[in-house]
Amino acid sequence: MCSKRKLLCVLGLLSVWAVLALPRGTPIALAAAQPAKPAKDLFLDVGKHPPITMLINQSPWYGGFEKVVKLYEEQTGNTLNLDVSPYAGMLEKARNAARGKESPFDWVNIDTQNTVEFYLGGFLSPLKEIDSGFQLDPQVSTYDDCLFWNERTQWRDRNGVLMGLPVQGNVNLYYYRTDLFERAGLKVPETWDEVAAAAEKLGKGGELYGFVVRGERGNAIRFDWMSYMLGAGASIEKDAPNGDFTVTVNSPPAKRALDFYLSLAKRFGPPNSGAIGQNDLIQLITTGKALQLNMVAAAWPNMDNPERSRVVGKVNVALIPRPADGVFATPIGNWVSGIPKNIPLERKRAALAFMRWFLTFEAQYKFAEFGGIPPVRMDVFDSDLATRPQFRWMAAYKKSLPYAKQLLGYKEGAQVEAVLGLRLNQALVGELSSAKALNLAAEDIYKAFQQGGRKTGLLPKLPE
Amino acid sequence: MAPAAGTREAAGPARSLADLLDATFQYWALVPALLILLALTLYPMLSILRMAVSTIDFAQGQFLWTFTGLQNWRSFVEDWLFRIALKNTLIFVIVAVTIEMLLGLSLALLACQIQMGKGIYRTIMVLPILVPAVAIGCMWRLMYNYDFGIFNQALVALGLTPLAWLADPRLAMASVILVDIWHWVPFVFLILLAGLEALPVEALEAANVDGANGWQRLRYVILPMIGPTLSVVVMFRTIFAFKVFDEIFLLTSGGPGTATEVVSLYIYKVFFAENRLGYGALLAILTILTICAFVGTYRWTRLGRRDPWAG
Repeated sequence: MCSKRKLLCVLGLLSVWAVLALPRGTPIALAAAQPAKPAKDLFLDVGKHPPITMLINQSPWYGGFEKVVKLYEEQTGNTLNLDVSPYAGMLEKARNAARGKESPFDWVNIDTQNTVEFYLGGFLSPLKEIDSGFQLDPQVSTYDDCLFWNERTQWRDRNGVLMGLPVQGNVNLYYYRTDLFERAGLKVPETWDEVAAAAEKLGKGGELYGFVVRGERGNAIRFDWMSYMLGAGASIEKDAPNGDFTVTVNSPPAKRALDFYLSLAKRFGPPNSGAIGQNDLIQLITTGKALQLNMVAAAWPNMDNPERSRVVGKVNVALIPRPADGVFATPIGNWVSGIPKNIPLERKRAALAFMRWFLTFEAQYKFAEFGGIPPVRMDVFDSDLATRPQFRWMAAYKKSLPYAKQLLGYKEGAQVEAVLGLRLNQALVGELSSAKALNLAAEDIYKAFQQGGRKTGLLPKLPE
Repeated sequence: MAPAAGTREAAGPARSLADLLDATFQYWALVPALLILLALTLYPMLSILRMAVSTIDFAQGQFLWTFTGLQNWRSFVEDWLFRIALKNTLIFVIVAVTIEMLLGLSLALLACQIQMGKGIYRTIMVLPILVPAVAIGCMWRLMYNYDFGIFNQALVALGLTPLAWLADPRLAMASVILVDIWHWVPFVFLILLAGLEALPVEALEAANVDGANGWQRLRYVILPMIGPTLSVVVMFRTIFAFKVFDEIFLLTSGGPGTATEVVSLYIYKVFFAENRLGYGALLAILTILTICAFVGTYRWTRLGRRDPWAG
């Protein structure tokens, strides 16, 4: 009897030791009550942590993120509060939090083009300062290295320090109506000429716009035009990563790119191209009024949602076309999350624990399944998800990433965006010619670089 | 028993101090409120003045203020977009406030003659003021939508060409002004109606007895008597219109091109989007000074002197 008790005690102690001795990061199974799941349903055990709060944007992919957070809470027992904000208020909320005495947020989600301000200002904690052993999984995309900050070169590059982690990885994709293309026997366009030919052939004026641009003043048109500009081999500045901020946006290839962009909008788009934002693009394609357009990957969930779309199953995406003599290119518009410097270490560790969990294959798989588009791990794009019809966007997205580029990665980025967003829009609504718009943009950008103490210069003016 | 002479002399200065405090108590009572008000207005004003002559950067999690003297002023002199914003703002103020005053007064004159259903029409009229600016922006943006908006559907039904209400630089400002008029005419209407209903009936009856026609009663009796109310409404609407932000931010964000760029929106972009705090501060100061100059000038004019608050 006594030996049996001793044996039970020893077994009990061994069990407790075994549980406690499980190293952090060991996968644990989902709740035992659930039926057996394939190996990918094993999630990371990140341990118990105090509640944290994340500043997150109300974007088309938010629903997927919210669900995956619930899953995190169920599995770990940790609490993650989401402070959901519309895009327009995100930057100011993040600034106020990071610049204050103590941030109310443990993660702040930042639009990629605003990350430099936070890195440069020293408002975020380098992740290795929180956990010296933290390693970014090679499967997680760094989106043209926007997660790192190199203090020496003042640039976001891989030689720098890891400052943030990706939450979502938007790039622009080419959306088109598969049913109409197939019926007309057209192949998926690879060049802008093919896009124009399809628009010419299938467009029907106000009933079906052949091609629609996102021409609203500001970020919309600046972001939209980047594929055309980069594809034509043009750039905004000569070699910013290496310190040469000579303004090149008024080069002849840039003008060709702008002229083509304007011609697409005017020939095939609605007369209100100059006021079309992302929501309008979604509206036009889901109501069947647009044949082709370029739009962020995150807008995809609207296409196959029968409550929102009249063209369910009739839209697909592809790599953004290129000029016949140009290259493929697409701008990145991802979200990066950073941990504010002004919070206690315990909260920082709790925050990092969530992201370690979130960036695992299992969590990313679920994120994508829940509508979190696009996930940030590349192996998710090789999973069985990619073979499901509703995830048919994955192939084009994966194909686009090697051509995807971060832009405006310097402290004057916001000013440059304001200048380009205005001048391009002025050209689109007919206030300026393309040459004049680019010349004026170049002058304004030059002034911004000069004030920022950059080594800069100007190209000769384009003939107006 | 009378108090001793020495005691009375000793109480004298204390009594006079107490009397002084008593007599000036109302001013002392204001001191805490005044101090709070000064702290809440003076400190931000001084801070913004300091910002206006500085460049503010951020490094190592700190604000770095660098005194740059007139550099922001030089940027202002070269800032063509601010001049456009100012011009657009003035157009917006003059057109919107004039139409709102005319419409509001006309409606108030009509409404004060209606005796039945006062509660109903007043409730209906007050609705646009109650709608939040964000809802107004969304609602009108939908109505102005080129492909699905009600205005273009009506035009198409009439066999006319649809218009790019918010995308055509020639139309955008008018479209935005129309929204402002819809939003604010009820405000003008309600205040003027209250003013009209408070007019002494005797004066209007006397004008009738003297044989004045409708126009003469309006020109020589009603308008002079509601002058103080009119002047207050004009001043408020002008100041509010000068500060217009939400409607334009939601409808056009200043576009297309520079067609609807206004001062408040421009300052917002410089300050919050471009993060140029020093220059944004200078623009804010210039805007405050412009509004102060308007209010000061207005109070010196004939119309302004009718303002019952003008003192």
